[in-house]
Amino acid sequence: MKAALALVVHVGDQAPGDRGLDAPLIQTQGLTKLYGGGSSIIRALDDVDLEIGTGEFVAVIGASGSGKSTLMNLLGGLDQPDQGKIAIAGKSLASMNKRALAYFRNETIGFVFQQFQLLPKKSALTNVRLPMQYRRPRLNNELELARSSLDRVGLSDRIHHKPTELSGGQQQRVAIARALVGEPKLLLADEPTGALDSKTSVDVMNLFVDLNRQGITIVLITHDKEVADYADRVITMRDGQIVEDRTQVGVR
Amino acid sequence: MGSLLERPFRTLLTMLGIIIGVAAVFAMLSIGEGTQKKILESIDSVEARTITVYPNWNNGRASQRRAWRPFTEQDVRDIQVIPGVYAATGELASDYDIVSELSDWRANVQGVDAAYLKANDLTMQRGRPITETEIERRDTVAVIGTSVVRSLFRGQDPIGERLKIQNIPFEVIGIVGETDAQNWRGQDSNNFILIPRPTARSRLFGDDRLVRNQVRAVKIVGEDQGTLASIEREIDFILRRSRGLTADEAPDFRIFNFSANRQAFAESQRTLSLLLATMGAVSLIVGGVGVMNIMLVSVTERTREIGLRMAIGARGSDILGQFLTEALLLSVLSGLLGLGLGYAVSQVSLGTDDIEMVFSTRIALLSFGSALLVGVVFGFLPAQRASRLNPIEALRHE
Repeated sequence: MKAALALVVHVGDQAPGDRGLDAPLIQTQGLTKLYGGGSSIIRALDDVDLEIGTGEFVAVIGASGSGKSTLMNLLGGLDQPDQGKIAIAGKSLASMNKRALAYFRNETIGFVFQQFQLLPKKSALTNVRLPMQYRRPRLNNELELARSSLDRVGLSDRIHHKPTELSGGQQQRVAIARALVGEPKLLLADEPTGALDSKTSVDVMNLFVDLNRQGITIVLITHDKEVADYADRVITMRDGQIVEDRTQVGVR
Repeated sequence: MGSLLERPFRTLLTMLGIIIGVAAVFAMLSIGEGTQKKILESIDSVEARTITVYPNWNNGRASQRRAWRPFTEQDVRDIQVIPGVYAATGELASDYDIVSELSDWRANVQGVDAAYLKANDLTMQRGRPITETEIERRDTVAVIGTSVVRSLFRGQDPIGERLKIQNIPFEVIGIVGETDAQNWRGQDSNNFILIPRPTARSRLFGDDRLVRNQVRAVKIVGEDQGTLASIEREIDFILRRSRGLTADEAPDFRIFNFSANRQAFAESQRTLSLLLATMGAVSLIVGGVGVMNIMLVSVTERTREIGLRMAIGARGSDILGQFLTEALLLSVLSGLLGLGLGYAVSQVSLGTDDIEMVFSTRIALLSFGSALLVGVVFGFLPAQRASRLNPIEALRHE
């Protein structure tokens, strides 16, 4: 079964790079990713067509092994598909080499991980500033950007704290601030509440909702239906394919 | 850089091999340089122009009785007139207990001829040397070294005073200027009493069968280094004639060319230095392997960090640079500590031995550079491994 439902207005003949108001931020076509070899090939992602518009808050939901993490890796430019095309913000990822992909990730994507992935011995400020280290050319207002990013997630009073001195929810906020510091076009969050208790999860999800209201496109991967309820579009995956794609009124 | 400071003990252990290696290379190159300098300095000194001849156990004809035959006064006189000889003197000496009015003391009593001071590059500090006449007349006169002045005469003016050797009174007529060197046995080279050799032989050593009319060694100083070879040949000829040896028989004496010996010594020291420098290099390599090992551990420990950095935009070259910088920092630090250690060790060893070291920027840079090289070479593999990690797998690493 194949489900490719474009909910945004698709401007069919639009040239890549021309970002009209309603042009899809993410566009995939026949996206396929295979693992293994010989007779034991697993189709982790099987011919997926998907469009996500700028400003959307999308939850990708599915059981483990459904292909949602593979989808996120491909959308984030961390991995390359075996077949099919991906374009993010009008740029085709298939044509990029490793170096170009690294630049692309740095400028276009903000990642939020389940395990926060903070440098344990560094302050919140240093952690948030980290992506700017790889921005070319370097910006001269890195520190201000990092501070304002921490302010945005409500941690301006914790900038010199190390991760070990912060609660789980605060750590994830630092990670979100790090994802935001480079002003990405897309926030990719992989089980962002997976390591948090339910109350903290609500706080973090409300933060995502706030950020989305500020215009940030969010793609969130989760197996938790309650978390998916915060999104206004839910894509359900099974066996590497999209089996449902529906809009909803998010819990707001 | 912070990651190195997070585990200071581990970092120090990692650095140890390189520290020792750099210290060894630095110290050995400095010793080598010092030896070279010493040779160059001594090339025109009296020492460098000295040949000493010793009697040796004969190991020639079976018909000959195995014996040790000293030289004679005639041998010394014959050697003295060899062309190119600056000075030549016979040696006959023994240690005796000496008594003065003030004290008693043990010193080396040497029976000398008139050429003694010249051949030993000595000058008079006070008084006068022993004259030819006094030597011929077997006078009981003595010229003494500064240590004898201090110990036997408690620093008081000894000229004209008497001292007794084996109860025989000698009149002190002069003091020899102080020399700073120790003699070859490591003894105080200013602790001597010079008396005419005929006097020594007849009054002191007379009961010694071996020294009757005889000389235990001859010390010859050439006018310059160029004459030494021909002097050696001449000495060989004179002594063979005097001792009834043909040209093809094994000699029962040894000609010891100080300069040649010095060169041989220098050569052996250079070889030793090279050996130790090689050991230093081996230590450096072992240290490098240590660096590589710890960097590999570090890469494994920080796999998730590497994954994260790559996810947020670090290129492979950024990661490579990061880890190479760490390896380089380790080796820079080790190099500096190694130079410090090498210098400290050499300062300690300088006090105990006759080793001269020359410290130069060139040597320091060479030793330091070798540490950097080790850092880069052995840091590269772990850094490269880090830079080639797959970010997805790295992020999942437990």
